[in-house]
Amino acid sequence: MTALFSIRDLHLSFPDRGNKPLFGPAPRIEVLKGLTLDIPEGRITGIVGESGSGKSTFGRVLVRLLDPDSGQVLFDGKDIATLDEEAILPLRRDLQMIFQDPMSSLNPRHRVWRLIAQPLKRYGRGGTKAQATEALARVGLPAAFADRYPHQLSGGQRQRVGIARAIALEPRFILADEIVSGLDVSSQAQVLMLLKQLAEEMGLTVAFISHDLSVIRHLCDNVVVLNHGEIVDAGPVAEVFENPQSEVTRKLLSAIPLPEMDDDWFND
Amino acid sequence: MSQQTQHRHALEIINLSIALPNGVRLLRDVSLKLEPGEVRALVGESGAGKSMIGKTVLGILPDTLKITQGEIILEGQHLNMMTPWTRRKTVAEITALIPQDPLTALNPLRKIGPQIVDPLIRIRGWEKDRARARALELLERVHIRAPERVMQSYPHELSGGMRQRILIAAAFAPSPRLIVADEPTTALDVTVQKEILKLIRELQKETGTAVLFVTHDMGVVAKISQQVTVLFAGKVMEDAPTREVFTNPAHPYTRALIAATPSSADLDRPFSPVPTELIAELHAQVARDDALWQGKKR
Amino acid sequence: MADVTASPRSRAGQGLNLRLWLPLTWIVILICAAVFAPLVAPQDPLMQDLMMERLPPFFMDGSEPGFWLGTDSLGRDVLSRMIYGARIALFVSVIAATTTCLFGSALGLLAGYYGGWWDRVISRLVDIWMAFPPVLFAVLLVAVMGTGLTSVIAAIALIDWTRFARVIRAETMVQARMDYVDSARIGGARRLATLVTEILPNVLPTIIALLMLEMGIAIIVEAILSFVNLSISSDDPTWGSMIAEGRGAIHFAWWVLLFPLIALFFSVLSFSTLGEGLKKRFDPVLQ
Repeated sequence: MTALFSIRDLHLSFPDRGNKPLFGPAPRIEVLKGLTLDIPEGRITGIVGESGSGKSTFGRVLVRLLDPDSGQVLFDGKDIATLDEEAILPLRRDLQMIFQDPMSSLNPRHRVWRLIAQPLKRYGRGGTKAQATEALARVGLPAAFADRYPHQLSGGQRQRVGIARAIALEPRFILADEIVSGLDVSSQAQVLMLLKQLAEEMGLTVAFISHDLSVIRHLCDNVVVLNHGEIVDAGPVAEVFENPQSEVTRKLLSAIPLPEMDDDWFND
Repeated sequence: MSQQTQHRHALEIINLSIALPNGVRLLRDVSLKLEPGEVRALVGESGAGKSMIGKTVLGILPDTLKITQGEIILEGQHLNMMTPWTRRKTVAEITALIPQDPLTALNPLRKIGPQIVDPLIRIRGWEKDRARARALELLERVHIRAPERVMQSYPHELSGGMRQRILIAAAFAPSPRLIVADEPTTALDVTVQKEILKLIRELQKETGTAVLFVTHDMGVVAKISQQVTVLFAGKVMEDAPTREVFTNPAHPYTRALIAATPSSADLDRPFSPVPTELIAELHAQVARDDALWQGKKR
Repeated sequence: MADVTASPRSRAGQGLNLRLWLPLTWIVILICAAVFAPLVAPQDPLMQDLMMERLPPFFMDGSEPGFWLGTDSLGRDVLSRMIYGARIALFVSVIAATTTCLFGSALGLLAGYYGGWWDRVISRLVDIWMAFPPVLFAVLLVAVMGTGLTSVIAAIALIDWTRFARVIRAETMVQARMDYVDSARIGGARRLATLVTEILPNVLPTIIALLMLEMGIAIIVEAILSFVNLSISSDDPTWGSMIAEGRGAIHFAWWVLLFPLIALFFSVLSFSTLGEGLKKRFDPVLQ
């Protein structure tokens, strides 16, 4: 199994503006502390951790919305960590993203079909309404939705549009950042099943960021557990769940409230 | 206090309906009972009206919504028959709220201390020293180290989990007999969520407070509650003991909700969306109800 | 669920419409008066007739037909002068406000989106600019450039661009943090394209509201400069110069002052109300 992404010793820090001295630069907070991992091609890799673990930051480095301080991000053998904006642009077609909150990630002033068609146009792959409608059909939305605005859709429908926009470009990699955390359970399951099905059909590599281990267990092939910017556990999902290597993973696992009766749940 | 000695429910809601000014109902004939010392979960998806019930009990329903029918009885006292002033006084006397968002529920410009102590002075009429002592006691009880220092802090200096624990302390401090918990763990990480649920459970057991626990998460329902009310589009789908709901759910919607909640322990159990046909059928049912209700009104 | 929210929305819509239509009506009247001034004005606005001085408006004793709102101390018709005054008021407000808006908004967008040096330079410039007392600044400018409409327009643009720059910068910063901006970059948009196609449409309602407000302000500034005789020649009918002239005769010919003042008041109010109304109208989410 080949790795689509090879990440080597990735470091990233943000300036801590809250503690900025009157003069001089603000101190920096280390968010990613030397991550090294591979993301295998054609698989769904779950990235899990609590808030502040750096999982979303890591995801945004993969699609180069954020620039790392140091380290390598090899995409298909090419280091994209240091590429400038112009050089990254042609690669972006292969590096797509589905956002957590489709309400804010879909520009409220554009109609659905334009949201989907615009990236196609930018990459010289057409950009017609027909293409947009076709992408909508692939995510199970009727053609009539093409003329609507994002706020006229329900949460689950909006997230489908987000998926349609990402897959329309036929990328090799999709980053899914907490894509169901804002949805009701019923649409949650639908969106997840759709993503899984599309990933299989298209042979996509997916990095699935989530705080919900149950979801990861059902959806992913591999999992990486982050804690305070470090990898504490990684491997095939079944292995990590059955035999967690770190205390953090164990704690996360035991904290999930499962939808079944368990009188001892509070006691461990 | 009332001199009645017979058995009283902590809360009883009878046939409650709430509508928009244009007559569209958001809550449809909801009835439920909450015994002293019991936790009842109100579960449903967004738009099910679960938070609205909590708000109605607390008397903080937005002015645009009108109670078209039904009664709310707090410890045997009919809220509908009271003047606004007595109602507010009665509600403040008996109930407290644990809000959803620990960030916006605390005033960012005031220290933690007064935000817990002031309501005790106002509602319970306690002396300042007594109120302060009670606040410290509760902060310690929710496992806050150095409560004296925390009382002197501002909300932004504390983590989300800490703030939620402070809100729990503030809710339990006046010894209410009914607490409405409005999705109190939705904004939190799972490990923190577990701590918070545990705290609510412990304090509730110790004090014998009844809790109306609003949530969308069937997992949380299974852990925290003894009774469940499942809502869909403002209508009660199922009302049963929690154990029964999870071992033998009566309503297809309840079954679907449980099936749609992912469970990492049980991979054999299919993780399936709520069927769209079911949703459509339930909506049709609600529409039929509304038509009947409109007819009855004329 | 759609019908559930239908009622409060449509009611808000009706309130919105009234707020939109009333000012719009007034502004259309104003525009018609300005464009067709020679046709609608009952008298020549410059014609003096000392026999007809200080005639009262039509509803008072001693009024003359044809001089509906009375005459001033030189016997010139107040209504006709107001109608011709609208020409100057509208001309100044449209040209000055548009210039100000384009200049200030562009700087605000750049500062808000690119940040860094762009932001530091533009923000400092705004700070320094705002430290000048505006009226003094305008008077100085007119003194250097000479009186006339060009000076008035230049003065307004040079003083008020900071309002646009500040507000649009803040609004752009808010929008730049939204996920749809990242989403556009993921979709292959260059930075400038992101600013123009993604952020600008979301900032536009604010720009339009500000533009309308600025039109009102421009009318006032022109009136003030006319009042202190720094606009065009005092013979030319402007609302400001009419108010200035009327001031001296307020005890025995109050109409000379009052009617242009009312026109000024309604114009400024209409522009700012229209701005707010349009902002809501253009918001697809609020609709």
